[in-house]
Amino acid sequence: MNSKRFLVTIVALILLTSIMAGCSSKNNEAGNNAGDSGKKEKVAIKVWLTPQWKGVLDATEPGADYDSFFKHAAEKFTAQYSKYDAKVDVEVIAGDQRDQLLNVNLSSGTPPDVIFESVFALGDYVHRGALAPLTDIVDDASKKDIAQSYWDSVTFGKDVYFYPFQNNPGTLVYNADMFKAAGLEKFVGGDTEIKTWTLAEYEEILKGLKDNLPKDKYSNAYPMALYAMNNQGDTWNLAYLRMFGNKFFDDQGNIVLDDANGVKAAAWLKKIKDAGYTNPGPESVSSNDVNGMFQNQQLAISFTNPVLFNNTKADMESGKLKKFDARLANIPSESGDPLSFTYVTGAGVFNTKDEKRMEVAKDFVKFFSTDPELVKSSKNAIPVRSSVAEEFKSEKPLFAAYDANSKYLFNFTGNVPGYSQLREVLYPELQALYMGASTPERAVKEYQTKGNKVIQTNKANSVIYGNQ
Amino acid sequence: MRLRNQSTREGLTGYLFILPQMLIFLIFLVYPIIEGIRLSLYQINYQNEKFVGLANYTTLFNDPVFFKALTNTVVFVVFIVILTVGFALFVASAVFDKNAKYVSFIRGTYYVPVMVSMVVMSMVWSFLLNPANGLISYFSQEMGLGTVNLLGKTQTVLPVIIFVTFATNVGQAIILYIAAMIGVPKDLFEAAEVDGASRWQVIRKILIPSVKSSTIYITIINIIAVLKIFVVIQLLTGGGPNNASVTLMYYLYNNAFKYNQLGVASAVGVIMFLITLLLSVPQLRSLIKEK
Repeated sequence: MNSKRFLVTIVALILLTSIMAGCSSKNNEAGNNAGDSGKKEKVAIKVWLTPQWKGVLDATEPGADYDSFFKHAAEKFTAQYSKYDAKVDVEVIAGDQRDQLLNVNLSSGTPPDVIFESVFALGDYVHRGALAPLTDIVDDASKKDIAQSYWDSVTFGKDVYFYPFQNNPGTLVYNADMFKAAGLEKFVGGDTEIKTWTLAEYEEILKGLKDNLPKDKYSNAYPMALYAMNNQGDTWNLAYLRMFGNKFFDDQGNIVLDDANGVKAAAWLKKIKDAGYTNPGPESVSSNDVNGMFQNQQLAISFTNPVLFNNTKADMESGKLKKFDARLANIPSESGDPLSFTYVTGAGVFNTKDEKRMEVAKDFVKFFSTDPELVKSSKNAIPVRSSVAEEFKSEKPLFAAYDANSKYLFNFTGNVPGYSQLREVLYPELQALYMGASTPERAVKEYQTKGNKVIQTNKANSVIYGNQ
Repeated sequence: MRLRNQSTREGLTGYLFILPQMLIFLIFLVYPIIEGIRLSLYQINYQNEKFVGLANYTTLFNDPVFFKALTNTVVFVVFIVILTVGFALFVASAVFDKNAKYVSFIRGTYYVPVMVSMVVMSMVWSFLLNPANGLISYFSQEMGLGTVNLLGKTQTVLPVIIFVTFATNVGQAIILYIAAMIGVPKDLFEAAEVDGASRWQVIRKILIPSVKSSTIYITIINIIAVLKIFVVIQLLTGGGPNNASVTLMYYLYNNAFKYNQLGVASAVGVIMFLITLLLSVPQLRSLIKEK
């Protein structure tokens, strides 16, 4: 018995000693590091981003990945940073898990310090007081270089909450080969042009595609993509609802879709669906589905943005997709002016209540959003900086076309509180409309009532509206 | 005195053995339940928590989508559990006394969908059912019947989800029933044979009563599983069309992670907990009584 006890004691002592030795060696290591970096205080920050572009400047670089740019920016930043001994951890999170991860981490007090993502998806976090204003890190040079419309989309109340980096304008994409096969050559635009059609022309195109597309070459193909299964890609649906001139939000940030023009737009959507101008069953088809159908040449007109468009072209080049002539067009409107919107992508800083970390986070955001070399990476989408767009205009001829569209940009979120919840209200109404369970009049009325209720509830809790 | 000391010591040893399990149970099950009940009485923002009494429950009871979710969940529970138990009983009683290789084959075939992730299963069904580019719609168009949109009609979306979930879950129940039926004493069947009982009588009078505890167990685990039905909804219908297939779990997820209404989401969680408790307690009681 005694010998057993003795053995247990020895084992326990060995374990204890090894744990203590492990801890002390770690401490020494930390101490040494502190000594090496000239006694600067260590501050570690965490950067999250959703997949945007691969590589630092280009996806063709060896080992290019979604975090390449930020890892490179972090290295460059820490090498020149004098205030603290900064460490930047970069993590790529899946776009569809963004809210889940952020909400869980915010609730448990462990949000990231910096987030890089499309601004429209993060507006709610501003209203909840989770993000810190960045107005103090915006300098005059950047204010001049980046157009006012981009600053408007990142400004909530009086403050700027995101540093704009690049943007992703939403347009239509069409299969020029299918147009030609249906005898619609006259509507095909140039390959570096974003073609603008009038609404009457657009309807003629849809009818032409429906009636004249050769069935032997394009079996089971439809003229236009329409979807409302979930909130994905809903910005195009929001744009369609503005086709007849409805302005969507009033000056107080309330939805005003329920007027003659809003009803007309809803009726138009129902009309083209019933006429067979769209894929069947839009109520249970997602934007992913229609994107796949367009790539498989089952749809002649679909939705796109520069990243999606470039990916489709790249897949054709690499042989993943059968080649066809894909070109861009604007969403038409009754007035003849194109309907244009964009997803501004940029960085925000979370209000972690740790002043040093927030200081480093802001310095890092300012660094990569203004460094002349690093901002060049924004060419992977559309740069928000005129200087970068100018520099790459010969390499990327579509930049000029997107730039020409920028005067038609509308702010699709209206920067209203509760936007993500608002998104959940739209697609059920569209589903009811397409299924025939609702009329255009009722659908817009219901959406407006439910949507405004969401906005009011969230206004009551918004720090921007001074209610907390 | 010494005897009492010894029994106390033995009891203490027993408690020490279950201590780790009790700690895990308290930390990971009891604490979240209590915290969930607490949160359901608060309005939670990033910066603060505000006690709002039963306001979250009032919000729920004023939301028609909540009642839709509640009704749908009940419909799913009733139909999927009845289908699963009924079909598993049927398959198991038909094959349990057959050749061992044949039984293994049947077991394996029905169990494969259980092993495949629900995400994969949902994607396969989505590929079949998609009205625009799904296989079913494609064949129906080829046959000149037009497009079929089973997920886009309020009348058909529930039966489709019931079938998909049932087809994925039933393997588990079949395995449990076959194991239970193989364990039923042989002399009962021999006696029934001597008495000239028919197959139907053997199933009704011997098999089904003998596997009663398995039936209760299968019913409880299926009720709990179906109450939590989520992946298939998220991937196949997104709660649509027009909220026709939204369930309590999907509603909870939307509130917690999309709308950031943690208080309301907790209130849904509390209601789901009560429903599970109400449905499970009588069955658990009968299970314990039997033992």
